[in-house]
Amino acid sequence: MSLGDVGKVCLFSSMSGAIKLDGKPVPNALLKRTVKFNKPKTDETRTNEQGHFEFPAIFEHTVTKFLPQEFVANQEITLYYQGEEYRMWTGVKRTPEENAESRGEPLIVECELSNQRQLKQVNNSPIISLCTWSAEADQVDTGF
Amino acid sequence: MELSALQAASLADDVYALTQYDRLDDAILFLSSKYKDSFNLSSDNLIKGKTGGPSLLKCRTAFGFALLGTGRFKGHVFLLFRGTQYLADWLTNFNIGVSRSRYGNPAHDGFNTAFKSIEPQLSQFMESVRASNIHSVHCIGHSLGGALATLCSEWVHSAFGIAPYLYTYGSPRVGLIGFAAMCTQKIGCDRIFRVYHKTDVVPCIPLWPFIHTPNIGKDYYLPSPGFLVGAEYHSMKHYITSVRGKEWNALGRQPERKSDEDIAKWLKTDTPVNMTSTVLEWLGHAINYVINKCASGVSWIISGAASASLTIMDQLAYIISTSVNLAETISSWVIFLMRKIMRLLGHQHIVDSADMTHEFVRGILRKLQQRVNQIAQSALSDALVNGRAI
Repeated sequence: MSLGDVGKVCLFSSMSGAIKLDGKPVPNALLKRTVKFNKPKTDETRTNEQGHFEFPAIFEHTVTKFLPQEFVANQEITLYYQGEEYRMWTGVKRTPEENAESRGEPLIVECELSNQRQLKQVNNSPIISLCTWSAEADQVDTGF
Repeated sequence: MELSALQAASLADDVYALTQYDRLDDAILFLSSKYKDSFNLSSDNLIKGKTGGPSLLKCRTAFGFALLGTGRFKGHVFLLFRGTQYLADWLTNFNIGVSRSRYGNPAHDGFNTAFKSIEPQLSQFMESVRASNIHSVHCIGHSLGGALATLCSEWVHSAFGIAPYLYTYGSPRVGLIGFAAMCTQKIGCDRIFRVYHKTDVVPCIPLWPFIHTPNIGKDYYLPSPGFLVGAEYHSMKHYITSVRGKEWNALGRQPERKSDEDIAKWLKTDTPVNMTSTVLEWLGHAINYVINKCASGVSWIISGAASASLTIMDQLAYIISTSVNLAETISSWVIFLMRKIMRLLGHQHIVDSADMTHEFVRGILRKLQQRVNQIAQSALSDALVNGRAI
């Protein structure tokens, strides 16, 4: 690890995937991504003809913040297609490691837009999404 | 009935995620997936507040979440507070001065200001659930959130006449003896669950005369590896692991009360000392012991009655430096104390009573305070270099 990596935290791991609506690929849909850590950062991409897309990872350096506190980063992806808005991904990343959302594996998602959004928690990071991905969910036991 | 250690810890952890949701339907989905049908949600749930840091760094931030129980938690209210995400929150922690709590007792001004800023929303929430026959209130928090939960427990008692349950994980010290004693007495020490890891740095600050609530009864001390205090075992991840599967009874202990003889002996010994939580605890007792020898000083400081323009450390320095000339017996204790602190700071100088000017004592106390605060920072930079979670 180089000195440049000191205090480097991953706010959103790189993500690739395929989008479908009623089983058919969704071409040229707009995906807007927002991540909030200290300040919000936004970027966007579009699906190709096959409904495929990818986002690079987002990192941040927090050298001024060497303090004992919990790591909390908000993740949001909204998809726009044929006048409709789909809340594709609402996550709260709770560990700074890359690929924490998928237990260290590359994050590859399949999203059927007609799905109901569901909560999946991986590495203590709760993600509300209509996508599915292979990572095993946490065994949640809150004592309740 | 009180919550289990795991139930309270899960809520103390999940309030970090809960306060991040911009939309209520996300919070509802989150809670119903993880907590089944334990809670009833309304739009009054999010508590926002203003931190008490320097004006330049003030920002609005979500501090907590209020929940009304359903099903077997009918009649229960859960007031959850989160720890420090923003730098401003953390600066609040070091902003040491005291102001009056709800019952008029001296509490950390930063925590108190932060709590007062959310009090209107809390009142509004409590008003909205008045019809639900509330019989149990649970105040829960981690880190700075533990401090807010403690102030909240006093507020709940004062405003609603209910003795709440208070659960804190890795909480800093919230107030001086007057605050801790009255809060403990009003709520009852059997309803207060203060949980902390041995090597968590945050419960070690601010230094004496700030003390923990409860000031009597049990505390919930969790062993953690190593001796030196740091940031790693401050994380909720470790707190949850440490309490999982354990009953309160198995976790609680009566803290060892140190006698005056023990403290005197510790002060006199000339062995090397390191920044461990044990040494910092001894040092707190030792400062208290020496200040008590300095006659009138102690009631002046711990009542918070002194001028607001002097910091606590300035007041300590004043009392110590003016008492040193009173009597031989007092000055020797002052010297023992200063030698102990200097040893902790790595100084090898030999000091005598002639050195004990106000500036000298103040300088040493300042350095001590700075050193403890720095541990939090350097420990965390190690944690990040090693790629471990914050």
